[in-house]
Amino acid sequence: MEGVTAREKLLTALLSLPDGGQLQIHLEGLDVLSTSFADEVVGKALDRLTRDDFGDRSILLVSPSLELADGVDAKLKQRQLAMICLTGTAWHLIGACTPAMTETLARIIEKGRTTAKELAGELDLQMNACVNRVARLAKLHLVRREEVGRSGPQPVYVLHSILKG
Amino acid sequence: MRRFEINRLTIETIDAVLEGAGRERIELDLRAVGFVDPYAVLILELLRVDCDEAGRGLRILWPESPRVRRWLSDMGLQGHPTSGSKAGDDALQPITRIEDEAGIGRVVERFHRRLAQRYPLTEMSRRALIAVLIELFQNIPHHSNATGTIDDPHGAAAMQDYEDSIVVAIADRGVGLSASLGLRDGYQGLTDAGALDLVFHQGISRFSDPGRGGELRRIAELIRSWDGTLAVRTGRALYYFDPRSGDTYDVPYFPGLQLALRLPMRAFLA
Repeated sequence: MEGVTAREKLLTALLSLPDGGQLQIHLEGLDVLSTSFADEVVGKALDRLTRDDFGDRSILLVSPSLELADGVDAKLKQRQLAMICLTGTAWHLIGACTPAMTETLARIIEKGRTTAKELAGELDLQMNACVNRVARLAKLHLVRREEVGRSGPQPVYVLHSILKG
Repeated sequence: MRRFEINRLTIETIDAVLEGAGRERIELDLRAVGFVDPYAVLILELLRVDCDEAGRGLRILWPESPRVRRWLSDMGLQGHPTSGSKAGDDALQPITRIEDEAGIGRVVERFHRRLAQRYPLTEMSRRALIAVLIELFQNIPHHSNATGTIDDPHGAAAMQDYEDSIVVAIADRGVGLSASLGLRDGYQGLTDAGALDLVFHQGISRFSDPGRGGELRRIAELIRSWDGTLAVRTGRALYYFDPRSGDTYDVPYFPGLQLALRLPMRAFLA
């Protein structure tokens, strides 16, 4: 089971990073990525990540083409997960994503750092709807949420893009 | 002896040959057959092995056409009059044994190389085709002996090109789809047709993990998008579609899982 071995190595590498660190999976040099291997390595690792087994760490996929990441996309959809795939200088949200998620993520990436309140204003959303979108992105480790205080019983977060630069 | 007037032994006609395959003695008269595809050749090979192992007699009067005999020989089919003679290059990819996951990469590479030597594939279709072959070949080590009850679990694959299409066939004599799915809670006692329905229409696999399974359904969708033909046979049921129609059909019993795809050349040539 080559996929199991590869996943164990990937998770070991992820754990060796400090909390908040980022692991990039590069597909460069690969000719084809089968869907079952993609799931065994990326799908299952991402599943663990979203169960908060790895703190605030994040995982990015870096691929020479979006087609090469097709297998990952299919399996993430099946698992109701999503991740950012970088192709050159462009980023793509792959897996189980909606236009609303992509729109919100794009705004956070563009700003680098923002708050749900700012986003709600800019995207012309009800605060609750915006908080739900952001919570979903944070749950999938697509953005990093930093608690900076409380407003009554609710925590107040600053949102950080996980894309550097 | 059963004589077959059919002159083409293919995905569409091989089941007529398997009528009575479970009998004590099987006699097949294939002398009139003038064309055999890789799916039929794999099933003939499995039938021979099945009869050998069960101690049942199998007598085949082989096709009389020298061209067909030469092709069967090139395919590496055992037990026919010209088997073992010097192989020519009529077969695009002769019968290739598939045993374990570790060997899948080499087998896929062999298929890919044979195809790429003859045809200019587009980059996208080349990748898609390799990914399909990996998934289909992996099914043999992953599922054919899922219950651990098969001695010498293995399968075989073969490939042939025609004027307008390529046929890839993969076959095993394993536990079959219903027994494999039956390992999952709540899926015991499925009929073969029921198992095919779950796999192709609901994307169910024997694993409850939501990320597992769905590959066959995805491959079927891809083949549809290429206007191809798919045949998946397990036990007493056949799931079949071509660009015109498709359904699940009752067929004579044969153990394991046998699968063929016919892909039109225009779908993936540069």
